[in-house]
Amino acid sequence: MITKELHEKMEAYVAGQLSAAEAGAFASQLLGDAQLAEQVRQYRLLADSFTVYGKRVELKKQLDGFHQEWKDESRDRPFIRTYGVRKFWRSHMGTVAVAASVAVVTVLGTVLITNYLRSLEHRQVNYYAELKKENNRIKKTLDAISTSIQQDDKRASYSASATGFMIAANGYIVTNRHVVNGADSVYVEAVDETDTKRRYKAKLIYVDPDPSVDLAMLKITDSTFRPLKYMPYALQTREADLGEKVYTLAYPREDMVFGEGSVSSHTGYEGDTSKYQVSIPVNPGNSGAPLLDEKGNLIGIVTAKNMNEESAAFAIKSKHLLTLIGSIPADSLPEPIITPRKNYMHYMRRPDQIKKLQGLVFNVKVYNSEK
Amino acid sequence: MSKVQFQTEEELLTAISRGDERAIGITYKTYFPMVLHFVTHNSGSEQEAKDIYQEAIVILYENAQKPGFELSCKIKTYIYSVCRRLWLKRLTQRNRYVGKIEDFESFIPFVREDADVEEREEQFQAMHESLGQLGEPCRTILEDFFIHDFSMQQITEKMGYTNTDNAKNQKYKCLIRLKKLFFSRYQG
Repeated sequence: MITKELHEKMEAYVAGQLSAAEAGAFASQLLGDAQLAEQVRQYRLLADSFTVYGKRVELKKQLDGFHQEWKDESRDRPFIRTYGVRKFWRSHMGTVAVAASVAVVTVLGTVLITNYLRSLEHRQVNYYAELKKENNRIKKTLDAISTSIQQDDKRASYSASATGFMIAANGYIVTNRHVVNGADSVYVEAVDETDTKRRYKAKLIYVDPDPSVDLAMLKITDSTFRPLKYMPYALQTREADLGEKVYTLAYPREDMVFGEGSVSSHTGYEGDTSKYQVSIPVNPGNSGAPLLDEKGNLIGIVTAKNMNEESAAFAIKSKHLLTLIGSIPADSLPEPIITPRKNYMHYMRRPDQIKKLQGLVFNVKVYNSEK
Repeated sequence: MSKVQFQTEEELLTAISRGDERAIGITYKTYFPMVLHFVTHNSGSEQEAKDIYQEAIVILYENAQKPGFELSCKIKTYIYSVCRRLWLKRLTQRNRYVGKIEDFESFIPFVREDADVEEREEQFQAMHESLGQLGEPCRTILEDFFIHDFSMQQITEKMGYTNTDNAKNQKYKCLIRLKKLFFSRYQG
């Protein structure tokens, strides 16, 4: 504890009220007296704290005033009203997001699971239907086998065999008139794309009235025949050029034979302008075979062979086929003939073209009661 | 109310450090909504927002008075950061801190200044309690002497002492008592 006088001196020293000489004396006294120095330090701290305290109290009072002012002003500020919504959104955004995602997951999950279960059921129904179909198919095959056995018995007695080809998807077949002349019944046979031999009954629809044009039109009347979806080749109406590579598919015997050559003349036997001469080795039975160019366009129908020359055959130009189709009175046709116009085999290799065509080239078998 | 008088933040800060009432008022009203928003979104009430905001303003004011004080960010960011710190501390003290604070502004971390601020706060609390126990007329005398810078003559007149010596005597006794009270609370 220090005396009141010393204390007053200290106060004056701290407040800077001493004269320079006195202050110097007091400072040197401080250096020698640790107790006094501690007293000074404490007094300083106390005084400073007191000042700070006072200022703070005053400032707080001031701030309270400002707060009241702010409150009064903010009462009529418009954004306070929208504050509630934003506040709600800010503080509940997380919860809302979680709820939304749960909802999405639940809905999607339910939809997916339901769909999956339904598809399972559907699949089972499908299996059942397939089994049934399979069953029917087996039954049909058996029927077909038994009928073909019966038909095989008849086949031995046909009197003429030649070639014909389909000209319209609904079963019209073109062949030569001399093939079907005086026929009682006509059957056509072909090997389709699946290498199955098909045999249908056909009916003579029309014979060209012009005796010089050796063409006839047949139509498949068999109930087992299904119309084709489309015709792969196109009918060429333009005259073929000399030397153009051509080929033919025909039935000179029970199996189809491919022949290749080129157009050697614009005219046929003895200057017949309705025909081409082609250098293809042909045999009897080739009559009625289609003559196609490299791209698979039909340019003619093989019709006859010059007996005197080797490998010279004649083919009726395809435009006469169009004339024939045009000249058929509409009322004699059970269905309209739609000639093939679009060539789907344009870019195919020849073996592929032939595969496409083999189902359209028929072995025409003619049965005649008078032997 | 506008900031037109204070073109830059530095001007505003200087005005605050001078104790300019208008500058402090403008600052107070401008940033209080931000702090109110922050506190009420982090499980606090408006009253609590007001408390920590005023504390923050005091800190800004006191710091601004220190020589060589420079603000490394905007006043807004400074206030927000201080409030954020204070609010975190308060939440932790009450075991209400759940480990997540929703932020609405960018803020700067405080490390260096923290100890200083805390010490001053302790001094303030100690002084507050000591003065409460000191009683009259000691409190008035000391407040007049230290805060209002009254001379001993003025104090003598105000308190009705017969002469300055009596007043000095009284003040000396009061000071000794305050010293005791203060240093029993605050270990300086």
